[in-house]
Amino acid sequence: MIRRLLIPLQLGEDVEVRVLLWYKVEGDPIADGDALVELETDKAIILVTAKQAGTLRRCFTAAGDWLKVGQVAAWVSDEAGEPLPAERTAPAEELLATFETT
Amino acid sequence: MSRLFFREALALAMAEEMERDARVILLGQDIAEHGGSYGETRGLVERFGAARVRNTPVAEEATVGIAAGAAAAGLRPVAFITYFDFLMLGLDPLVNYAAKLRFKSAGQLSAPLVVKTTAGAKGQGPTHAQALESWLMGVPGLTVVAPSTAGDAYGLLKTSIRSEGPVVYIDHKRLFPLGGEVLAGDLVPFGAAAVRREGRHATVVAYSYMSVLALKAAEVLAKEGIEVEVIDLRSLWPIDWGTLESSARRTGHVLLVEEGQTACGVGAELGFRLRELVPDARVARLGALRAPVAASPALESGVIPDASAIADAVRALARHSQHSRRGVTS
Repeated sequence: MIRRLLIPLQLGEDVEVRVLLWYKVEGDPIADGDALVELETDKAIILVTAKQAGTLRRCFTAAGDWLKVGQVAAWVSDEAGEPLPAERTAPAEELLATFETT
Repeated sequence: MSRLFFREALALAMAEEMERDARVILLGQDIAEHGGSYGETRGLVERFGAARVRNTPVAEEATVGIAAGAAAAGLRPVAFITYFDFLMLGLDPLVNYAAKLRFKSAGQLSAPLVVKTTAGAKGQGPTHAQALESWLMGVPGLTVVAPSTAGDAYGLLKTSIRSEGPVVYIDHKRLFPLGGEVLAGDLVPFGAAAVRREGRHATVVAYSYMSVLALKAAEVLAKEGIEVEVIDLRSLWPIDWGTLESSARRTGHVLLVEEGQTACGVGAELGFRLRELVPDARVARLGALRAPVAASPALESGVIPDASAIADAVRALARHSQHSRRGVTS
């Protein structure tokens, strides 16, 4: 199954985040508890940690890029070779992850 | 061109101006080691020292008074007032001293002072979230600016610091989570509105965070076939009458949006003047209910305009236009 990493709406309406650092690159295996990416809001640094295993298949952003709440930051698949959707906005299950202010 | 958070745009503007002119100093609560209420002075005390980045006590009248006196004596202070509501305490030195100084001294003295403050509602409740900009627009000698983008925040703050003042520079709490493109060195002149979106059916005039909402409303209305021109005032005084007048002539319908009260508000002044300039234009206003801003999010959003209220008000103007074409007057 393909799962998407979403910038959570709970951060607030209209909120934008800047991508600071990816801890993984496309193709890397992910274990439950692995740090995925650090995001910056106007107030805080947010560490995104995976809460399930999989493979990072696609990063839509690089360090320094900006995302809005509700946008898809990355795709993770349960099995390494699963076909990916054509569109970034394609519906998909959400990746289980925590968003912690550091 | 780089994309920055609002606070970063402000910090960049202040750092550049402090680098450029040793007379620029900052005064305010928690602006030194703490880095400002929104992080907008982060790094400045380390870079420019405690003599130029000075914490003040919770004493707004003294802060503005000292800044006005320092300005008259030759410095270029930026006085931080955490929330616009607290500027009430500093109005005497601002209005009676700083704004009058050039007139009273026949131009021999001036007070190149910037009061930088933050207005608007984001859950702070009745006494920390008001939009009182219109109070200042009627003070001769005072310039009032209220940007809606990080780029304009940078450009207007730089222009404010370089001006002969006094200037009240007004942020909005809801603009800080947003990023925006900032063009290094790009000064934004006073009295120049920005057309954020072109349209031929109606003009929406807004400023500060209401400009963001006006653009959202325009997107919704475009899907209904109503093309809205969105004008972001940027300066509340002086006002860019030329841009407003030409848009009003083209669209014939003008909605004036503000977060504060409509009675004697920004839209009252703009609307009356627009009626004089473009008598045929239909002009409407939208602002807060005549009630204090509530702290509860549900009640807060009931008091102040949102994008759907703006869209509704434009639809009402457009409906009137259809009726007029059929010979019906409202």
